[in-house]
Amino acid sequence: MTTISFVIVLIALIGHVGGELVLKKAMDASNVVGFRSRKFVAPFGAGILLMTVQFFLGLGLLQRYDLSFIYPFQGLSVILIIFAAAILLREKLTLQLTIGGALISAGIILVSIS
Amino acid sequence: MQNKPTGFANPWLHLALSIAFVTIYELLLKLGAVQTAHLSQRWSWTGLTGLASLYTWVAIVFVILSLVTWLHVLRSIPLSVAFPISQVVHALIPLGSWLFLGESITTFRGCGIALVLLGLAVVAKPVARFEERL
Repeated sequence: MTTISFVIVLIALIGHVGGELVLKKAMDASNVVGFRSRKFVAPFGAGILLMTVQFFLGLGLLQRYDLSFIYPFQGLSVILIIFAAAILLREKLTLQLTIGGALISAGIILVSIS
Repeated sequence: MQNKPTGFANPWLHLALSIAFVTIYELLLKLGAVQTAHLSQRWSWTGLTGLASLYTWVAIVFVILSLVTWLHVLRSIPLSVAFPISQVVHALIPLGSWLFLGESITTFRGCGIALVLLGLAVVAKPVARFEERL
């Protein structure tokens, strides 16, 4: 894997984690203020934008590497999202979730380096 | 007490659909990417050349379907619970790649898949607790 590919993987990963967080924020807001409020539209738009960027970067990576090699890099997002959701969205962080998330991430890393 | 969503409104059904759609679109994207890999070395890193393949467009339909079902999931299930569960795709995609794309699964990769499944089993307990509250 080249340096530029690694940077693209990193940007795609950040886009994915950030996108999931703002989309969750948007959908939580939709339960309270509906779909027309700025509190829903702004994070929803940002989430869709981030997801679109990571989608096309991922597609570019797929043109160079095996799917079963590239996709698992996204797996790092599991542990990142569990912690980010606890810190930024104030979701409950349990020991089982942390251990389970760490095992999933470890498994995904193992898959990606194999 | 809130009514438990049932039938098509059930967020767990949407989570299962979202997982299936993600698996399908990833396999289709790989087919589209392979089909268009030769088009332009200069622009291929952007992924935009992949749009020249029909596989990519069918994949985009599944991307949209997976997004819609996922958004429904996010309305009622915490991200820290739903997201780890959705990661079963990391087991399904390599298996699908092996089954449909002829990619290989080494012993090492098989161990990784097993770890992912073990992690999901550990996560299942907080999920069950959340399901009781839903």
